[in-house]
Amino acid sequence: MSKIIRVNMTTKKVNIEEVPEKYAALGGRALTSQVILDEVPATCHPLGPKNKLVFAPGMLSGTNAPSSGRLSVGGKSPLTGGIKEANAGGITSQKMASLGIKAIIVEGKPEKGTYLLRVTADNAELVPADEFAGRGTYELTATLKERYNEKAGVICIGPAGEMKMLSAGITNNDPEGNSSRYAGRGGLGAVMGSKGLKAIVVECDKTFDAPVKDKERFKTAAKKFAQILTSHPVTGEGLPKFGTNVLMNIINEAGTLPTRNFSRGRFDAASEVSGEKLAEVATQRGGKATHACHPGCVMRCSNVYPMPDGKVCAPIEYETAWCFGPNLEINDLDVVAKLNYICNDVGLDTIEAGCTLGVLMEAGVLPFGDGEAAIKALEEVGKGTPLGRIIGAGSAVAGKVYGVTRVPAVKGQGIPAYDPRSCRGNGVTYATTPMGADHTAGYAVTANILKVGGYVDPNKDDGQIELSRNLQIATAAVDATGLCLFVAFAVLDNEEGLPTVVEMINAQYGTNLTVDDVTALGQQILKNEREFNKKAGFTKADDRLPEFFYDEELEPHKTKFDLKEELDEVFNF
Amino acid sequence: MVKLLLEVRLYSGLEKYVQDAKYGKPIKVELPDGTTGRQLLDKLGIPQEQVFSILVNGTHRDRDEVMEDGDRVALFPPVGGG
Repeated sequence: MSKIIRVNMTTKKVNIEEVPEKYAALGGRALTSQVILDEVPATCHPLGPKNKLVFAPGMLSGTNAPSSGRLSVGGKSPLTGGIKEANAGGITSQKMASLGIKAIIVEGKPEKGTYLLRVTADNAELVPADEFAGRGTYELTATLKERYNEKAGVICIGPAGEMKMLSAGITNNDPEGNSSRYAGRGGLGAVMGSKGLKAIVVECDKTFDAPVKDKERFKTAAKKFAQILTSHPVTGEGLPKFGTNVLMNIINEAGTLPTRNFSRGRFDAASEVSGEKLAEVATQRGGKATHACHPGCVMRCSNVYPMPDGKVCAPIEYETAWCFGPNLEINDLDVVAKLNYICNDVGLDTIEAGCTLGVLMEAGVLPFGDGEAAIKALEEVGKGTPLGRIIGAGSAVAGKVYGVTRVPAVKGQGIPAYDPRSCRGNGVTYATTPMGADHTAGYAVTANILKVGGYVDPNKDDGQIELSRNLQIATAAVDATGLCLFVAFAVLDNEEGLPTVVEMINAQYGTNLTVDDVTALGQQILKNEREFNKKAGFTKADDRLPEFFYDEELEPHKTKFDLKEELDEVFNF
Repeated sequence: MVKLLLEVRLYSGLEKYVQDAKYGKPIKVELPDGTTGRQLLDKLGIPQEQVFSILVNGTHRDRDEVMEDGDRVALFPPVGGG
């Protein structure tokens, strides 16, 4: 039976509830955003007792649908002040779904103390966990797996979350136990920290045990979907070979790789921190150039990078390689790996940390290109020093503290690895998504740079609004299914893609959804999120890029961002 | 005869078709005036079907378009990520 686990941190009571009819057909982002809209007052303090944290597996998680193990985490973001859904790979989503858990809702706030939530097949209980306060995520995850169940999925925060830093993330582990699969963005780790919840241990030996109504029909559709993914050149060959960081060189060549805190579009040493280099070094050192973040993924875009100190960073993603590489003019993959590992352990979003270090370098607090200085600065986060807290507070706060005007952030959230001036579709997404600057919310890099799902010239305004609109709608729906967003590369190019996703959902739930219903679901999710943000006080003025993108030319294409009022048309549906 | 001098970069596995090529390392290629992307691939010995994107000075180009002297050319198989 499907259930919702409601955890009240004020009373320390845990209730197992039936799933209301209204939520029965929802999952992932559709469910987290609906619950936040329904239950959280939009003007509440994100770190106060009225905010809630919702963990929801996607609709297809825990089934044999390929690459369907995404976990959505929702709440009001302390970083943006708006609604947030951050999602992660890793093994926990499939385990939650296999136990029939539709969602875990964490509410209230204790007067003091640190707790963990232990979830088993027929029980869920809060356990005092003061002994784990201040622990890094790697050690904590290993300890909890050893104590409770080696096969458990562990969701947790690091010291950054406990210190309620605005860019703290929530992680969970991969199949090898690395606590590196982050619902990174928007500071939801600080929300978890504010509630005194250090970890959720989901004990379940099963991975593919979610209830499916019509098993034969599902099996046929899942097999077909796997074939669609493996036969597309990007999802079948490109991603498995070099991972997401294969993007580094093409984004650089296209002249839209944000370099030196978004002051140029190319970095001469980009190839030194690219996927090609990563694969070379990882293989030489006995690591892996390809790796699955959860069982059943056919794209296997993750990697295992052995570091010189004997530890492994798994994975190094493109966004992270960019934010600690070209963005800081650092050309050393070992430095990137070290910075990545520190973030994973202390519990910080890598993209925000990289954007923040870029702003601090702009301010002259540390020099551009100085890897050792960057490592030293990032190590301050775990110590909770004033500099560490400024870094943990994100790029917008750091910019204010140091009086920097070139601050790449929208709604307080740092801009990822594609400059909006020469990848304008993504610029539209950064400006308008309810999430704050987020590349995954409407990934126009597909049509702008990668020539997937058509081609829209990245240096011109024509077609960008429509492109971003359609991608934002489709993405919201994908985020509800639990499918990895990367399935979109294949789905956008294959007309059987979306109908096959719908067929899997119908076979699992006994529904009669059509492709149009999926579009309507995506639209509804965005409407809910926009409604929450409006109630929280957001206006059109928040749907704009920072001033410098409109005023400063980006080399090599000498482009400025021009779209302003047009951005208000994105949600005309 | 007028010649074109191109600066070519190969990435993401295409390096294997050209001796001593390495991702990110520019290769100087001299070709007759009027050479297209398609002819460049033939000259380098890279199978046409292996190349998905031809970026010339940072902009996607059709493989039948003519190159100009001094162009920075980058060749890619299908790639994606995020």
